[in-house]
Amino acid sequence: MERRNFLQIIGGIGTIAVFPSLIPTRLFAENGQMFVGYGKVKLVDALGKPLLAGKLKKETAYIFNYPFVGTPSMLIDLGTATQKDVTLKSEAGDEYVWKGGIGKESSIVAYSAICAHQLTHPNPKESFIKYFKKGEKTVSCSQDKVIVCSSHMSSYDPASGCKNLGGDAREPLASIVLEHDIKTDELYAVAVVGVGKFVDYFDAFGDEMEQYYKGKREAKAEVSVQTKTVELKKYSKEVIGY
Amino acid sequence: MQRRDLFKLVGLSIIASASLLSPISLEASSVSSTSGKDVVIVGGGFGGLSVAKALKKADKSINVTVLEKREIFMSCPYSNTYLGGMQGVTFEQLTHDYYAPAAKYGYNFVQCEVIGIDREAKVVKTTTGDFGYNVLVLAPGIAYDYTKQFPSWDAQKISLVSRECPSALMPGSEHLALKRQLDNMNDGNIVIVPPQKGKFRCPPAPFERTSMLASYMKQKKIKGKVIVLDTSDGTFAKNKAFMETWSDLYPNIVEYHGKAPIVDVDVKNKTITYKENEVDVTIKYEVCNLMPYNKVSPVIGMAGLQTTKNGFVAMNSTGFQSKTDPNVYVVGDCVGHGVPASGQTAIWSGKRASLQIVAQLNNSTFDVKSGLPAQAANVCYSMVNTNPAEAIMVQHEFVADADTGNINAVPNVPKPADGSGKFRSKGTGKLTTEWYNGVKRELFS
Repeated sequence: MERRNFLQIIGGIGTIAVFPSLIPTRLFAENGQMFVGYGKVKLVDALGKPLLAGKLKKETAYIFNYPFVGTPSMLIDLGTATQKDVTLKSEAGDEYVWKGGIGKESSIVAYSAICAHQLTHPNPKESFIKYFKKGEKTVSCSQDKVIVCSSHMSSYDPASGCKNLGGDAREPLASIVLEHDIKTDELYAVAVVGVGKFVDYFDAFGDEMEQYYKGKREAKAEVSVQTKTVELKKYSKEVIGY
Repeated sequence: MQRRDLFKLVGLSIIASASLLSPISLEASSVSSTSGKDVVIVGGGFGGLSVAKALKKADKSINVTVLEKREIFMSCPYSNTYLGGMQGVTFEQLTHDYYAPAAKYGYNFVQCEVIGIDREAKVVKTTTGDFGYNVLVLAPGIAYDYTKQFPSWDAQKISLVSRECPSALMPGSEHLALKRQLDNMNDGNIVIVPPQKGKFRCPPAPFERTSMLASYMKQKKIKGKVIVLDTSDGTFAKNKAFMETWSDLYPNIVEYHGKAPIVDVDVKNKTITYKENEVDVTIKYEVCNLMPYNKVSPVIGMAGLQTTKNGFVAMNSTGFQSKTDPNVYVVGDCVGHGVPASGQTAIWSGKRASLQIVAQLNNSTFDVKSGLPAQAANVCYSMVNTNPAEAIMVQHEFVADADTGNINAVPNVPKPADGSGKFRSKGTGKLTTEWYNGVKRELFS
């Protein structure tokens, strides 16, 4: 099991370094809930076969629901190594360290696809969140290789922990902590670091939970064992981005 | 006297009958705090509510009180879709109660009207009582200036025209009156008069409305035109995108007249007279939407704040502190920064002001140049078609202006990468609705 994807949380009394899969259920940093370990969940394709890191299409956004049945997350192989040990700050001022991408090239990342600004997210009907690959222009910011929520033009840099680049968002997208099994090339989601927005999300989208997940209670269930991972353009009928 | 009978703020005792106060105010014991961290916000629009929420999120020990003259919140952004009769848009969608966010985020809400501001004593005088402050935030929005635009009109004429030709730039009865007129209209023309001079609320709004009402006439098969009487030379906000849309979708409906100042309105005979090439032209209308000059709310005058040459509040550097008084901040439509008066800008400025206020109240510092330039600080969508829903957009980068020392906005009106080559798209129409839904989530849920 690759070990570089451990996590640091900077708190008032020092630094905690952990391997996410070793955390049984939840770990709360002393400054709140900047890190929550959830069940270890295998990423699988639409047929239920393990998603292999080496088979991911480069610079292609995939969606898998994690940590809850109704909360979409985005997986991308950026194609190039990410930055490492990026210190990020929440809107409330809490700091945490994003360790970097995983996989052979240290290029695979995952984030909550719920915008840190006003909770815009992909659903089966449409997505206003999109990854702009190399050379693809967005009006939200001056660089490419970014995740943009086009409803309010918040943009994030996935190669540096999804720190804010433009728009009104005041904190990064929450990061999904991944593990990569070097022997099998399989990918696992194990935790969330950053501000997940899940409570506000479930509060705001009751109707949507009913429509797509049979109800809020069902949508709030934690994902277990495995989670289906599909390309964003297949997850949402329409992907809209500026 | 019992504590519940008093409204006591920052060492000032006043001082209002409890029966006049909202339940939120009554249960907020913090209003009697003398912690030195009392913030009073005048105005419960996008800017004021953004400040209130951001302050409480950042520092729960700050006592925040919002003073608002209206009973309910109503949004001007997105309201043109309601006027245009877009499917699924209701008046209720544009409104919200103030109590829910006050309770959720922990600020006080008091419905009242401001009648005076004593900056020396740090007191806001209202119809409900006096409110002391350590920091005052003014987010009162705009007022209309019929008198300056039509100096020959007396108060009765202004009252009559404002009622019969509702502006609908300020939320409430004006929108309902205009909607009623549209619902009841016969074949004939709709005349739209954008503010003919100076800075005004939501620069693309009159032209979005033009599009929405043209779409309404098209859908309802009303015989007539939407006639725009503007004083610009056609260089209004998002002009190329609007013009392209009007040419494509409403070639026989929208009729734009630039450099066409209004001379008079005859509400009895439903005619409007304007000048074109130095000649008076009088046309009949079925519905007239006259948006007069805008000016800052009289509340700004009550505070005695220095204004810019165009009448908006002079700001200190690139922050939201007024130039006149470091304890008085201004957000929203009244700021003298070179930024568009949009809902998104009001929210952005409200959040940014809150950072500086929190620093000030905690004897810390905030670099007002931090985060600038701010990419996509403002995004503003305009719906241009109701069936199907299609929209255009503009985004602004906010930069520190070396000439003024304030914030300036750099616009960009993009075309979607959908291969159509057009400014408008259905995708942008969906984004428009999501923008509005997101804003409501931000302020209320």
